[in-house]
Amino acid sequence: MSKILRVNMTDLTTKFEDVPEKYRLTGGRGLTSAITCAEVPPTCHPLGPNNKLTFAPGILTATGAPTAGRLSVGGKAPLTGTIKETNAGGMAADKLARLDIKAIIVEGQPKEKGKFWLLKVDKDGAQLMPADEWTGKGLYETYPKLFAKFGKDVGIISIGVAGERLMAMAGVCVNDPEGRPSRYAGRGGMGAVMGSKGLKAIIVDDKGGSGVAIANKDAFNTGRKKLTDALREHAITKPGGTLNTYGTAALVNVINEAGAFPTRNFREGRFEGASKISGETINETCKKRGGVGMTGHRCSPGCIIQCSNVYPKPDGTELVSCQEYESVWSLGADCGIDDLDVTGELIRLCNDYGLDTIEAGVTIGVAMDAGLAKFGDGKKAIELMHEIGKGTPLGHILGNGAEVTARTFGVVRCPTVKGQAMPAYEPRAIKGIGVTYATSTMGADHTSGYTIAPEILGVSGKLDPFTVEKAEVSRNFQYATAFLDTTGHCLFIAFAILDIASGFEGMVEECNGVLGTNWTTDDATRIGGDIVKMERAFNEAAGFTKVDDRLPEFMKYEKLPPHNVVYDVPDAVLDKVHNP
Amino acid sequence: MVEVHLYGKLRRFTDNLDPSRDSIILVPHKPNDTIRDIIRRIGIPLEEVGSNLFLNGEYSPLERKVEDNDRLGIFPDDMQMIIV
Repeated sequence: MSKILRVNMTDLTTKFEDVPEKYRLTGGRGLTSAITCAEVPPTCHPLGPNNKLTFAPGILTATGAPTAGRLSVGGKAPLTGTIKETNAGGMAADKLARLDIKAIIVEGQPKEKGKFWLLKVDKDGAQLMPADEWTGKGLYETYPKLFAKFGKDVGIISIGVAGERLMAMAGVCVNDPEGRPSRYAGRGGMGAVMGSKGLKAIIVDDKGGSGVAIANKDAFNTGRKKLTDALREHAITKPGGTLNTYGTAALVNVINEAGAFPTRNFREGRFEGASKISGETINETCKKRGGVGMTGHRCSPGCIIQCSNVYPKPDGTELVSCQEYESVWSLGADCGIDDLDVTGELIRLCNDYGLDTIEAGVTIGVAMDAGLAKFGDGKKAIELMHEIGKGTPLGHILGNGAEVTARTFGVVRCPTVKGQAMPAYEPRAIKGIGVTYATSTMGADHTSGYTIAPEILGVSGKLDPFTVEKAEVSRNFQYATAFLDTTGHCLFIAFAILDIASGFEGMVEECNGVLGTNWTTDDATRIGGDIVKMERAFNEAAGFTKVDDRLPEFMKYEKLPPHNVVYDVPDAVLDKVHNP
Repeated sequence: MVEVHLYGKLRRFTDNLDPSRDSIILVPHKPNDTIRDIIRRIGIPLEEVGSNLFLNGEYSPLERKVEDNDRLGIFPDDMQMIIV
């Protein structure tokens, strides 16, 4: 990919630049973080004119590499104040790569507040146009109109009303293959950054695009075959395997059985209603209700894992895509809700308003802890979500996330790190994921160092979840993940490449094939480590210290049932992660 | 008794096949029982059992000793686990 598109929202101009040599061998997270570090002052306000928002497909996106259609979205995050890379599947990354675009950098800020523009990108160039007719409405209404105007085969990257209102739980939405507004680069409030730039949507039309050049086709094909074979062999990723059959929510019963399924705002580690929101029940309900219901749905082009689903209403018509593990947990168990029709409606509202489902669910859990609703009250949870959609004063408090909500209502039990809500793994019961939450460059983020794989899932050897010496494991996973996020591959290939050595080699050989490099698997880890170190340096310059690399205090004194454990990993272990 | 929670295709060893409810079977406990012994006593073929075994919520090997009144969770071989 040879071009970078720079979009200046102050003077509403666009220009294409050649990719500088220093960015030639990177992509995805490696590229968005490098551009953020090079061009964004670390102390800038995330919603001010000096922040920049960068979109980048991965090195391997649109090359024919399997499951490699992720779009990275990077900049300084309003939710955390840290550097951020959050990525999504969907159609847009593939189309950007086919247009030979390595990144879009959005900078500046329009003088006119509250006005929005749309960026159209195609083989002939890029243009900005007023977006008034597409703002202020739900995305389920807006997306069909955008397809009607720009063609059914375009990719859409957009924000919802939450992003327009600069709420810190606003995500960046990408359309799925059937055109739904359902695949989110959700975390950190990057939708609010897009809103602060006055950018409502990017339309990507790849018709006539040149495609991605591959330097060494033989090396690429060898690597692709190795990785594809590994994905097709591994029990978690193979066709008819766990992910394909049950979706990510297959984890519900496992993590619940492990006593690490955060329940009712992280008060307990086991939810009595877990089986009602499990992957097994999602699968069964899709079959029983029939209609459009399906598991094994593909969220982006070229994915061979296909872990998404389309969840039907009782009459077989569509309720929502997709009931993910994180979403059925945050909007389900964490709110004491055990009904997939309710979690489905809440997920649909998140998609419609443009919200990160993790932050939204944890925020409602905190609100319930504050007494705004009773745990388990799905009707009230839906009403609270509508407050966000309507942009009421309460909606603005909730829309700014779990930490703002906890502070507003005096809730001490606030499950965040660096302002970002924790995902669906209790760190008191699974110590290593807590190390990652505490020390990731992104705030509490399971994807930045998924130690669950060895701790619970038996991938890449086995670790005891209760031991505290997890600094090295978390560091290695954070480095490997940073490289993986750079390739454009979905994180879920990790199961196969951690267990099957030739799969890992295959991923690196694919990169060598595309870029003409001679990287080894050791190089991959080193490159990932360099990315994490660069991100850490940004955060340090933004004012973060080791004191910020900590879990919330309540986890050190509130015992979590059923194991009745506190978080007891010493601070010295946390400090060792990035200072070995 | 050992309270055994079964998942996926292993639910057939209980009287509940509905995945939205817990599938539980109570198994008599004998001294020195291991997880492997309990699995045998239920009659589950070992090749249908995956690596996800949880004794009182702790990830455990087949050889781990089981005590009376313990809770044991067993996932099948086609339910090796996942993310997000």
